[in-house]
Amino acid sequence: MSINVEKLNQILQEFASTTNEVQGAALVTPDGLPLATTLPARMDEERVSAMSASILSLGERIGKELARGQVERIFVEGEDGYGILTSCTEDALFLVLASHQAKQGVLMLEIKRIVEELRSVLA
Amino acid sequence: MELMRLVVTGPVGSGKSTFIQSVSEIDVVNTDERASDETKEQKETTTVAMDFGKLRFSPEFAMHLYGTPGQQRFDFMWDLLIRKAHAYILLVAANQPKQFRYARRILNFMNQRVTLPMLIGITHTDCDEAWETQDIAIALGFSAQKHPPLKIVNPLDHTSVAETLLTLAQQLYEPANHQT
Ligand SMILES: Nc1nc2c(ncn2[C@@H]2O[C@H](COP(=O)(O)OP(=O)(O)OP(=O)(O)O)[C@@H](O)[C@H]2O)c(=O)[nH]1
Ligand SMILES: [Mg+2]
Repeated sequence: MSINVEKLNQILQEFASTTNEVQGAALVTPDGLPLATTLPARMDEERVSAMSASILSLGERIGKELARGQVERIFVEGEDGYGILTSCTEDALFLVLASHQAKQGVLMLEIKRIVEELRSVLA
Repeated sequence: MELMRLVVTGPVGSGKSTFIQSVSEIDVVNTDERASDETKEQKETTTVAMDFGKLRFSPEFAMHLYGTPGQQRFDFMWDLLIRKAHAYILLVAANQPKQFRYARRILNFMNQRVTLPMLIGITHTDCDEAWETQDIAIALGFSAQKHPPLKIVNPLDHTSVAETLLTLAQQLYEPANHQT
C-alpha cells in the first residue's frame, strides 16, 4: 500500500489557505504519526500528531463509557481558538485548528467536505 | 481509605498494558490502536494515551494503575501521569537488549520530575536469549551493588503481578528500605 503523500499535502495546504480562519490541519495515523500536515510554524508536527492520537483514542473510550455512541468528533474550544478532531478512515484521523472567528457551522461543513476528499485519496 | 496511584512505564512491548490487564478488577480503560511504526514487527497494537485499571488489596487499601505509552513521541503522557503518581514501575523486557538504553532514558525522564519509590520489573525472562537480571542492571547503567529494586515479573500471570505490586507497596510504607 502506498499513500499519495504529495496529493494529501496539497489538499491540506489548499484547505488551510482557502478556508477562512483555518490555521492548520494534520492527517495522522491512529498511533500518532504524521501522514501530512500543514501547521503554524511554532508547532512540532510529531508532537501534534501524537497528541491528536491520544485525545481521539481516549475520547472514543470515554464516549463509550458514557454511552454516547460512535464519537463523531472531539471539539476543543480554547480562549484562542478551536481544535477539532475527527476520524477520517480506519488508518487516519484528521485535526483542524481554527481561530475563534470561525463560524462553527461553516467549519463543520468544510471539514466534512475535506474529509471526503482525503478519504478518496486514501482509498 | 488509602489510595495509591501507580504508574507502569517502560519501552514498547515490555508488557505494561498486559500487566495492568492481569490484575485490574474493573474493565481496563485501554487506548491501544493499530501500530504503524516499527512496533508492528512485535505486535499489532500499541497504547496511544494510557491504560487505567483498579485493584483493591483490602477494604483500606486500593491501587489505581496507570500504564503509559512506550514511544518517546508520547512523552507528554509520561509527564502528565508521573506527576500525580505515588510510585512507579519500569518494565524492561529481558530479551530486548536494544531497548535497555532507551529504558534508562525513561527512568531519567521520570527521575528528573519526581522522587518516588520505584522498582524495575524484568519481563520476558521465559523467552529465548533473555539476559540475567544482574547483567540488565549493569546495562541500565547501575553498578552490581547499587541499583533500584529489581524483580522478575510475568505480566501475563496474575499472581506474579500482584506480588510485584505488594513489594512496591511495602516499599512505600517502609521508606527507610527504599534506595535508588
Ligand atoms: N513470553 C512472555 N510474553 C510476555 C511477557 N510479558 C508480556 N508478554 C507479551 O508481550 C506483549 C506485550 O504487549 P503489551 O502489554 O501490549 O506491551 P506494552 O508495554 O503495553 O506496549 P506498548 O503499549 O506498545 O508500549 C504481549 O503480547 C504479552 O502477551 C513475558 O514475561 N513473557
Ligand atoms: Mg501498552
